[in-house]
Amino acid sequence: MLAYLLLLVPLPPLGGFLLLALDPYRLDRRPVLALSLAAGIAPLVLFLPLAIAYFTGAVGDMIAPAFTLNFGQYEVALAMQLDPLSAIGASTVTVVASCVMIYAADYMSGARVADLRRFFALMNLFQAGMLSMVLAADSIVFFLGWELMGLCSFFLISYNMTSPRAFAAGQKAFVMTRIADAALLAGLLLLFLEATSVRMDELIPAGLAAEESRAAIIAVLLLVGALGKSAQLPFQTWLPTAMAGPTPVSALLHSATMVAAGAVLLARFAPLIEATPGVAAATAIAGVATALFGALCAIAQTDVKRLLAYSSISQIGYMLLAVGMGAPGVAMAHFVIHAFFKSLLFMAAGVLSHAGGGSTAIEKLRGTAYVAPISFATYTVGAAALAGFPILSAGWWSKEAILGAAVEAGPFGQFLWLVALGGAALTGVYAYRPVLCALRKPLHDAPKGHESWLAVAPLIFLAIMSVLGGYLVEPIIHEMGGHAPHAGLGIEVMGALAAITGLIGSVAVTFIPSWNARIKRARRLRAGMQMDAIYYAFLVRPYRRIVRLLSGRDGRLGKHIGEGPEAQEGGMGDPVGTATVVFGLWLARVVTAPFMPDRFDTVIMRGAREAQRAGLWTRRLQSGRLRDYALGFALGLGVLVILGWGMTWG
Amino acid sequence: MSWGLAIWAATVAFGAAILAVTRPSAVHALLLLLAALISLGVGFFAMAANFAGAIQLLIYAGAVVAVFVFVVMTIDAGDEAMAAERELLRHAWRWPALIVGLSVVPVIFGIGGGAMGEGDPAPALASDLGLLMFGDWSAATELITLLLIAGMLGVRHLGRKLGPRLRERNPE
Amino acid sequence: MTALNILLVLSAGLFLAGLFGVAARRTLLMQLISLEVMLAGPALGFIAAGAHHGSIEGSAMFILVLGLAAAEVALGLAIYLHMRRATGGDSDAATRLRG
Repeated sequence: MLAYLLLLVPLPPLGGFLLLALDPYRLDRRPVLALSLAAGIAPLVLFLPLAIAYFTGAVGDMIAPAFTLNFGQYEVALAMQLDPLSAIGASTVTVVASCVMIYAADYMSGARVADLRRFFALMNLFQAGMLSMVLAADSIVFFLGWELMGLCSFFLISYNMTSPRAFAAGQKAFVMTRIADAALLAGLLLLFLEATSVRMDELIPAGLAAEESRAAIIAVLLLVGALGKSAQLPFQTWLPTAMAGPTPVSALLHSATMVAAGAVLLARFAPLIEATPGVAAATAIAGVATALFGALCAIAQTDVKRLLAYSSISQIGYMLLAVGMGAPGVAMAHFVIHAFFKSLLFMAAGVLSHAGGGSTAIEKLRGTAYVAPISFATYTVGAAALAGFPILSAGWWSKEAILGAAVEAGPFGQFLWLVALGGAALTGVYAYRPVLCALRKPLHDAPKGHESWLAVAPLIFLAIMSVLGGYLVEPIIHEMGGHAPHAGLGIEVMGALAAITGLIGSVAVTFIPSWNARIKRARRLRAGMQMDAIYYAFLVRPYRRIVRLLSGRDGRLGKHIGEGPEAQEGGMGDPVGTATVVFGLWLARVVTAPFMPDRFDTVIMRGAREAQRAGLWTRRLQSGRLRDYALGFALGLGVLVILGWGMTWG
Repeated sequence: MSWGLAIWAATVAFGAAILAVTRPSAVHALLLLLAALISLGVGFFAMAANFAGAIQLLIYAGAVVAVFVFVVMTIDAGDEAMAAERELLRHAWRWPALIVGLSVVPVIFGIGGGAMGEGDPAPALASDLGLLMFGDWSAATELITLLLIAGMLGVRHLGRKLGPRLRERNPE
Repeated sequence: MTALNILLVLSAGLFLAGLFGVAARRTLLMQLISLEVMLAGPALGFIAAGAHHGSIEGSAMFILVLGLAAAEVALGLAIYLHMRRATGGDSDAATRLRG
């Protein structure tokens, strides 16, 4: 019975979304805030007792079936489950989401009521999506939640509807994740065909039992799905631009939960990844490459939100590395810690940038430490966790676990460890930059600002979690069935040294003018190695060219597929669809030309005339003449008598 | 019970019937029908079915044919009518003859070929007939009486004089 | 081949002769006469079979056939008289139902 409580967990946010989106009551500002807050925190209230009971061992794994349908051998069983992964994931999501919702209630308070309603409706929907994905016991609910998050992220990034940049960013995020989602969907469907069931507990064994080549394809597809959602190389470009959304959106969607969904996916299907060594290696390489890439790009950023975006990319790279090294438990531990400190960083940065005049540029943060001291302090704690400040911060423990797992994995792992260690040092460099910048004496004396408790309370809570979270690392790893890596003192010291080096580097970069100037010059790096431009040149432009080629300059498709401005200027739609239409039109022309005096029609009409003639002929039977009917009667009698005679013959 | 006489009478009836259905003249046809019915009645007597033979003669050959006679008396039986009737018959008989002929061979060889089981030639009594008709078969008797009543009402309806309104609707 | 066989063949012959008449003749009166012949055939068959088996049912069936024939003749002749004014008794001319 307790299991059915699971089904209730994603419902309050969903209900909140429905109420806010449909808005049957024309709610005012305060009711909107109250409703969305209640809907946002309710999952925590519902799930926390369950999670505590689970972690203390009072209840075991359980599955709450919601709906089951059988099609022959195929079983579609929608359900939610409580197992180590979903318990950890859902606890994290509920806690972080509650904090973000409380923060958002303060942060968004200046918005118009309509915007507020839209914002909170989507935030609630997003929560529902993430919770159902984490708790899902079958691939359908999982994918549904996954897609719901993608949709919400599109709307939330484009929240500022007057800004074309925000729209472009939303579109970019949507399209990029969509490409990966297609791969994920394909992977899940292939798994379904293997397992003839959608339940996770049957999908994974079926995937393991599958033929080697097929298992590899499935693992690759799942990996691509995770890469896209988690903004890993080569899909990373959407995340930095996604910072066009409001700060709570970044804090919830693009730091702690949604981008980490890829890590959850990989942790969920970790056995399949591990079963294919090539894919596991690819996961690890993609992870470590992204970690290094993100760290490098983050150093060059001049905008604090973009810096944090690149740091998200980088940190999730570490999670992927852990999964690739065969330690999904370690990845989940980092997922939890990262969710805490990254949402903290985003939210604190939001407060600081408000204090600094509204700009998110790092330079403008100068002196804000004195304007908003509590936020600054929490930001510092978060930055320490991000950089993995030895012993004191939670980030240190989880990152050490990842590095240790890499070291334990053999020579290949040790190579990756080296790269990851470099990444960790670079993390230190960028993590403290906003902190140091905020510490500098302000150029103008600014009055000490007022920090709203509604905004600061979650920051303090998350800061505490970012420090004490270190105690959670080992229990989480054990809960996930892994073991905490013990890589030896030397390795740990190396890790600590890397973190300290990062701090020193950060000080150097901030305070040595020539280094600082060098960072400002590093435009290529700042633009994420120009990946956007490369994609534009090699993918988007040829794509548009193909579309234009297919639809023709005169918009000749216009009269077939619409008269909109896009059709007029040659169409900017989808080339596959356009190609299909063009091919269809060509085919229709070629095939129908020989039949222009429509022969099919002629044949059919001849058939109709024949039928009419047959009808006229048949009608003669109904002459109305008594004699003819008598004749028919005689004929029938004769046939019957002959038949009877034949049957009694002899 | 004299089967020979019965067969002879039935044969006569058959021949008379063949002639009756092929005569162009309605009067001749009616006379031949009468002959066929009377010889059938004789056959019935020969088969010891006295009651059946009696009503065959009295009702069938008597009353029913008398009704026919009343009708035939009203029709034109002149030479022109005869010629017209012959003209109608000239080609019309071929298809019916062919189709009816289909049944002839199986009837002769199917019914005529097989030997019927030994009979029990005990004469049946009219009193038994009454017991049967108004006993076990009373439902059938009721049915046939209803049929006769329906026939009577139908004749009453068809024979009525048309009023001016109905005459307008049925111009003939 | 017993006497009953011969009689049954003859009764079938009567029926078929009547059937031929109904199918071949156009005059309604002649078709009615043919119908009488058709009814006589089964009557003979019933009586013959009843006599053969010493059973009274044959005669009972004959009574029923007689009742049928009487009703049929009455109606048929009434229809003939009704139609004769229009078609001269030609059944081919009456091919349409009309209320």
